Amino acid sequence: MAAQFLADLDALLAEASAAFSAAADGEALEAARIEFLGAAKGRLKAVQKGLGTVAKEDKPAAGKRLNEVKEAIETAFTSAKDRLESAGPAAAGGARFDLTLPGRPLRVGRLHPISQTIDELKDIMGRLGFTPAEGPEIEDERHNFEALNIPLEHPARDPLDNFYLAVAAAGAGTATAPPHQEHAAPLLLRSQTSTVQIRVMERQPPPVRIISLGRVYRPDAADATHYPMFHQMEGLLIDRHATLADLKSVLRMFATGYLGSDVHVRFRPSFFPFTEPSVECDYYWNDRWIEFGGAGMVDPNVLQAVGYDPEEVSGFAFGLGVERLCMRRHGITDIREFYKNDVRFLQQF
Amino acid sequence: MIVSWNWLKDYVPLKDAPADVVQRLMMAGLNLESTEQLGTDVIIDLEVTSNRPDCLGHIGIAREASVLYGLPLSIPEPTVAATDFSSERITDDLRNYTSVEIQAPDLCPRYVARVIRGAKIKPSPSQMAVRLATIGQNVINNIVDITNYVMMECGQPLHAFDFQKLAGRKIIVRRARAGETLEAIDHKTYTLDGQMCVIADAERPVALAGVMGGASSEVTESTTDILIEAAQFAPLSVRQTARKLKLHSPSSYRFERGTDPEMVDWASRRCCELILKHAGGELVEGVIDVGPPRPERTPIVLRLAQLERILGIEIPAETVRKILSALGCREQAHDAKALTTVPPSWRRDLAREIDLVEEVARIHGYDQIPEDVSVPMTASHRTDDDRLLAKVRHLMTAAGFDEAMTASVVPERWSAAFSPWTSAEPLVTSTPMLEGADRLRRSLIPSLLDVRRINQSLSNPVIELFETARIYLPQAGGLPREQWTLAAVSGQEFLVVKGAVEALLAALHVAEPLALAEYPDPLLTPGLGCRLLLGDQLLGFLGELSPAAHKTFSLRGPTTIVELDLGVLAQRARLATHYKPQSPYPTIARDINLIVAESVRWADIAATVRATAGQDLERLECLDAAYRDPEKDGPGTKRLLFSFTLRPQDRTLTGTEADAVRDAVVAACSERHGSRLLA
Repeated sequence: MAAQFLADLDALLAEASAAFSAAADGEALEAARIEFLGAAKGRLKAVQKGLGTVAKEDKPAAGKRLNEVKEAIETAFTSAKDRLESAGPAAAGGARFDLTLPGRPLRVGRLHPISQTIDELKDIMGRLGFTPAEGPEIEDERHNFEALNIPLEHPARDPLDNFYLAVAAAGAGTATAPPHQEHAAPLLLRSQTSTVQIRVMERQPPPVRIISLGRVYRPDAADATHYPMFHQMEGLLIDRHATLADLKSVLRMFATGYLGSDVHVRFRPSFFPFTEPSVECDYYWNDRWIEFGGAGMVDPNVLQAVGYDPEEVSGFAFGLGVERLCMRRHGITDIREFYKNDVRFLQQF
Repeated sequence: MIVSWNWLKDYVPLKDAPADVVQRLMMAGLNLESTEQLGTDVIIDLEVTSNRPDCLGHIGIAREASVLYGLPLSIPEPTVAATDFSSERITDDLRNYTSVEIQAPDLCPRYVARVIRGAKIKPSPSQMAVRLATIGQNVINNIVDITNYVMMECGQPLHAFDFQKLAGRKIIVRRARAGETLEAIDHKTYTLDGQMCVIADAERPVALAGVMGGASSEVTESTTDILIEAAQFAPLSVRQTARKLKLHSPSSYRFERGTDPEMVDWASRRCCELILKHAGGELVEGVIDVGPPRPERTPIVLRLAQLERILGIEIPAETVRKILSALGCREQAHDAKALTTVPPSWRRDLAREIDLVEEVARIHGYDQIPEDVSVPMTASHRTDDDRLLAKVRHLMTAAGFDEAMTASVVPERWSAAFSPWTSAEPLVTSTPMLEGADRLRRSLIPSLLDVRRINQSLSNPVIELFETARIYLPQAGGLPREQWTLAAVSGQEFLVVKGAVEALLAALHVAEPLALAEYPDPLLTPGLGCRLLLGDQLLGFLGELSPAAHKTFSLRGPTTIVELDLGVLAQRARLATHYKPQSPYPTIARDINLIVAESVRWADIAATVRATAGQDLERLECLDAAYRDPEKDGPGTKRLLFSFTLRPQDRTLTGTEADAVRDAVVAACSERHGSRLLA
């Protein structure tokens, strides 16, 4: 009878293994498990009863075999279960997961494109040794004009070309105070960041190597290329032997840093009251010359105005419009987009 | 300055193509705006910088070209033959015929007058008419056209008066009398003020000096006798007059920039020559030339070493001398180290050594300046403000806010809508920056609320915005305080925005705990607006927008605003923190559900918990503060469900110890805040 018992065991193992392997989902596997390993009516239990019919001398061997088969069937079940589980919840009998559902929205804000441009400019200029400096946006005429060698008769000083300031009369809807407060120096919104040059040079001796970035104000009517408020970057370097060649080289390094490949620059003569010689700087990019900004050697009158000796030190300054740079980089065609702050615009950068 | 190529070649024998010449001029400082072929001519529009009024005539441009190409410049020498009037009844001397009196020598340093009798007014000769039309000048009649032609030739504006219409046949240059009026040749009547300079006859103004002639003395078809004015007017006065009256002319454009004092008489003679040639008539003998003698120009010393010092390149002395003399400078002396030269009358911009350095560099060519010299290295550093700003921006974008940038100047009603930082009246700009906007803002909030409105009108679903900018707080005497400010406007509720503020303070390692004090303001919902304080220092304002404010700003609610003084954060932020070792032991947490009076605030309970739990407290969380059950708990009560987590630095805390802390917390809350533990 031992032979029969052993044959039954082998058949059971083969059938159980086949059934577990064939189970396509958790439900089928569970049914197979009950069929073969069920505690009450499982077939293993049934076959196990056959052990009683085995002759006494054969019992140890048959019992050992029973245990082996039992273990093998359980292993087959476990591996079938692992197979189904690793196949995913749907196969395990759960609801099917739609992989294409959108991820949980994670809203991350964006920095304004002008901020991003300013950060980049500071970064590039920082590598060239220029440290950012700040100055007030509301200025007096000394810092906005006089110390910058812009005399009273210069057209840039025309009141209509500047935002002069007064204090609103208390409670009144309109400004009734005179354009300039009595006994006080007239104030205006700065028309250029060059004012910061003066403030820095007034408080520190040479050498100086700074950039100033910030808002400037000019009464232009807003259109696609003009806005009465915009941002400028101004650089200033003062040292014992600073030359126009140094300026050209610094601007070339800057352009190379900004554009990411070696570019050439050229100077065209220009005129600014606070520099002499004064130049317009262009860089060569995509087979054409592109206007970059104004620059020049700091005028001796400016050096004198801040108490520097123009015989001892020289220096250069350069300035450029941040909006223009940003518009060119991103293909923005209307400067007013920057100040409308449409969220769809902001989220593009 | 619009240049006719054909006209230009009258003065300089250019052989290169117009495009090449234009390129050369551009690299020497005359920026090209455009060129256009017109028949056989080329129209060239050049931008002339304000320091170069000498280039506001064809001769000036020709001079630049002649210097650049080394070609001769030929300026015509006008010859005028006066007629002998001795046989006639009219006196033969111009001085008896008319007079010029300058009553305002500060506004008019020089006035040259000549008179032509018996001219015949007719259309201009065709070449002149074509040239004027080519450069965009209206063609009127031979006399007016000649004055314009000479102006476009040499840059000196001229005016022709109908001599018979001048009352008293005299010219008086004076300040206008306040309220005086003048009908100009554009047939508009202008009201003048005492700062404007006019040309008057014996009775009234007949021209706005340097700006425009008057209709009453205009040259017409019936004119026969002409007084030619060639004068010098003060730039500032001309500019102010032109701007005040919004009356800009080619003449005012040139006077504003300054004309060549030595060209006045040349222009007068050239004008008369052309009138006699094209309109006939006879020139009255003599000239009236009023004004003090012009001082000699001061010689300038140019040290050759300065060229290398400023430009970074050496230029041979011979080249330097050649350039300067070609530009019209008269060299007085030179040696191995320096040269002394007198600049020409038409170059008022040349007065200092540095001016000559620029001239030499400009003509020698900026392409000679290398772009690859080695500039000494210098260390630079990020400023603390920039570090702070980077952290603020990181946090705000991580919190889901987009960065906005809005104008510094706002309309009056916005300015009035919210000004928590100051009650001082705002600064006002002399002209509005944008439509109706003339107040320097004292808060960023109104600007951001308006941006929110615009975005709502664009149906943008999520509108979370922040801005960092300065606000302008007037203070007595001197410059206003420009407060560096962070503001945000959100569609989320109070606690969400407060959470962002708390996260910001944590990111900046601000040690002082955030405290709040109620801040009633019409912009904010009562009870939902507060001051934010760090110790006793004002950090900012936080609140939900009131229904009225939603209406004012045309907003759909809800809206929460926050505005912080970044200067305060800069003072309190720790940008570099010190490492603290973390406890390796497990945590143990306890929950407590208290019944407290409505008036008890979370901050009070939290302070008690912190004080009681001591240094083992790792975390304290408020789980619920909204539940109310007055029937069970009694009227005027609320429940506070919170959890605290303990973790000592040096050991594992037991459950019994944690229970003891919980019991102590419950007891302390009961004692200090009258709370009861929920049974």
